Amino acid sequence: MPPRLNLFSVRASVPVFRQPSTPSVNLATALNLNRACTVSTTHGLNASVQTSGRTQRRWNSSGSDGKTKLDSTTADQLPHVSEEAAEMAKIMDKKSDRPTASPELEQGTPVQEILKRDKEAQKHAPKVMQDQIKKSTGTRSFSTSTRQWQPELNGQGKGFDEQTAAVVANMISNVNKQAEELHPGLKFEAPESLPKTENFRKRYDDLLDQFTKLLMRDGKLSMAQKNMTFILDHLRTASPPQPNPKRRLLPAPPGPQLPLNPVLYLTLIVDSVAPLIKIRQQKGLAGGGASVQLPVPLLQRQRRRTAMRWIIDASDKRRDSQFAQRVANELVSVAEGRSGVWDKREQVHKLGVAGRSNLALAANRR
Amino acid sequence: MVSSFCWSCLTRLRSTPRALLPPSVTAPRAAASFHTSSARYALPTKKKNSLDGPPKYREAKSARMKKKKPTDRPRPPPVGERRTLRKRIVLSNPNALEVEGMQDISAETMVDSRLRGSILGLPIPMIAQLRAVQAFKPTQGWSIFRRPGTVVRRETLELGRLIDRISSDGEDKGKAVKKIVTGARGTGKTVHLLQAMAMAFTKKWVVVTVPEPQDLVIANTGYASLSDENPHVYVQNEVTAALLSRTVSANEEVLKKLHVSQPHPDLKSSIKPGMTLEALAKLGIQDPAAAWSVFGALWTELTATSPASGFEKNFNSRPPMLVAVDGLAHWMRNSAYKSAEFEPVHAHDLVFVNHFLSLLKPGSKQSTLPNGGILLYATSASNSPTEYGFEVALKQVAARQAGVKESSPEFPQADPYLRADQRVIDAFNSPKSSVAKEGSVELQTLGGLTREEARGFLEYFARSGLLQENINDEWVGEKWSLAGGGVIGELERLGRRLRTVA
Repeated sequence: MPPRLNLFSVRASVPVFRQPSTPSVNLATALNLNRACTVSTTHGLNASVQTSGRTQRRWNSSGSDGKTKLDSTTADQLPHVSEEAAEMAKIMDKKSDRPTASPELEQGTPVQEILKRDKEAQKHAPKVMQDQIKKSTGTRSFSTSTRQWQPELNGQGKGFDEQTAAVVANMISNVNKQAEELHPGLKFEAPESLPKTENFRKRYDDLLDQFTKLLMRDGKLSMAQKNMTFILDHLRTASPPQPNPKRRLLPAPPGPQLPLNPVLYLTLIVDSVAPLIKIRQQKGLAGGGASVQLPVPLLQRQRRRTAMRWIIDASDKRRDSQFAQRVANELVSVAEGRSGVWDKREQVHKLGVAGRSNLALAANRR
Repeated sequence: MVSSFCWSCLTRLRSTPRALLPPSVTAPRAAASFHTSSARYALPTKKKNSLDGPPKYREAKSARMKKKKPTDRPRPPPVGERRTLRKRIVLSNPNALEVEGMQDISAETMVDSRLRGSILGLPIPMIAQLRAVQAFKPTQGWSIFRRPGTVVRRETLELGRLIDRISSDGEDKGKAVKKIVTGARGTGKTVHLLQAMAMAFTKKWVVVTVPEPQDLVIANTGYASLSDENPHVYVQNEVTAALLSRTVSANEEVLKKLHVSQPHPDLKSSIKPGMTLEALAKLGIQDPAAAWSVFGALWTELTATSPASGFEKNFNSRPPMLVAVDGLAHWMRNSAYKSAEFEPVHAHDLVFVNHFLSLLKPGSKQSTLPNGGILLYATSASNSPTEYGFEVALKQVAARQAGVKESSPEFPQADPYLRADQRVIDAFNSPKSSVAKEGSVELQTLGGLTREEARGFLEYFARSGLLQENINDEWVGEKWSLAGGGVIGELERLGRRLRTVA
């Protein structure tokens, strides 16, 4: 596309005064969606108010962003004139060794300053500005409302400019859509989903937390945590479990790999001996005051709790002097199928199978 | 009168159909899917002695808990079992993976700057020596790796070069360097001492250590006045014998090659001419009453530069020495011992402590370590009593090291209202030595690892199979910041922390 301005003359004359919505697109700027948008409605005082550069604008508070909200047709996100000139000058000066651009062009300058210096430009300044220079009373004789420049208010006289502006806006909205498809509502790529334990309230694994709390005596949590550390270190350093073919652990990585991930190892042990049901003694179902054993299904947390309770109770019968050592030894013996915890589980399941018939009684009662 | 119906009619009367009878009370309301006859015709169960019933005569109504029968454990556990469990040092985890390409500390690797940030293993034969000088502490995480290893950080390389320069022929040969190692908790002060010991062992130095200075001042061992001339100086014989035993078992190889070269008038009866230093030190271990004088004799021998007249036979020049003390602050206050007047004994009045602190002062005629060597005294951040005088003394050491004159107003002075211990401040107030080879006391503050070193350290965890993470710069940077800027103790915690894969 042809450049909008005669860029060679730009450095000579101050290109402040520019027709609004000139019919050409700087596509590179339009595509740069992440930049803080700059509406250069260079008309009148507006231009002089929003003077210097993008960099300053980015520091503005969010309130000022609301003002610069774009309408579809005025979405021509062209850089400030002086900016563009500076860019152009940079491009042009790449080969010649002249200093690239004056700070005026790089950073932008308030129009009033330029007008103060440049008498020639003052003559061509819009009337409002001329008036303002003449009498700086502080009251304005004109409206600064941007609504005036909106097309629907502007009326039916859609010229060539408006048509091209519409085309440009169309292109921009297309690009916007594409960007939205890439990352919906995000400026950068979406973060990976964090593991649950990255939240500091949930920093320990569920089972670890539950087991630690069950190890706790007299409300001494940090003591329990110390014991849990000991248990995990024991699982980490003890020799890998010899699997018992009759009492297998749940499917898992092979034995020698288990000590490298003691949390997984512990989870495996607890889940393997966790009973599926508990037995409830219900009176009055069969009549005669006899109590009937009803199997009741357990949730995962309840099942684990039961298994941990059994393990800790069984560890009480060991003769090691340290509590943590006892529990750790019991856990290893569960993994190797030697522990009495397995018998408890089998017994509960046997009772549950036997008590299955009583479920009908309970169902009919209801 | 005869009844209106006859018996035969009665007998012929058929039983009423079941449906006409009122439903029995005991029968279940709906038919069960299985047999219920056993339940229905069962004998009424004998009432159990339940809590629901009325109390018998003079019986408590409240619920009685069943008491759990306590298991008969040997109570209390055998003497010393808990202590051994607490002090046990495990240096190997057979479950951890062997790290491939891990090098050992040797004369070449300890000065190789390319190895910075990698892990150097401790050579297997040296581990017995390091155990003998109690270089390992139970709180350090040696037990989760296949074999012990330490990170090569900047300070390690500097130390390695220093040890190398002191041992080799150069301008620094025989230099005495005195350092106080400080730093925040978990920054690796004790492991720095361990690395120094390992390097000293590779260079065949003599290593003398005091791993637990606290044990000397908590009145757990016997003490006595040194002699009648100076009744206010106390000697601790068992501790000295333990020091000799540590020194002998760690430096056996070196001490066997050295022979007595000085006259020792107070040990004249037991010392034979041509005795090795190992045998000399063993005298003190066998007879703890003589331990202090034997230690004095051993020290004189090790710091001798030339043989005395009449002892010239097989004199070998003495190797440099490394003296390492960990947890210095315990020595800077009154000990738990009492004098005869039942006044507390200051730690500096213990002759053992006094000897090691006097090494910080410059020697009168020759250097305190005339054959060269390093004094490495570390503070502890987790087990250290607060001692204002010691804090001021360390600040003064730092100021002197920075070149601040003692007369200048910038020189840190003790607050007169805070009762700083003047003996402590004087102990560190060492003027510049007149001997060129003897350095003055320096303060070395350990901080965190750099990111590259931290990455090397965490990769070691991953390669040992303990850390199942994808280790990249971003992740390491995150952990580095979480560890307070690479504090290695915290990094170790993060490395062994288990994250669920979910």
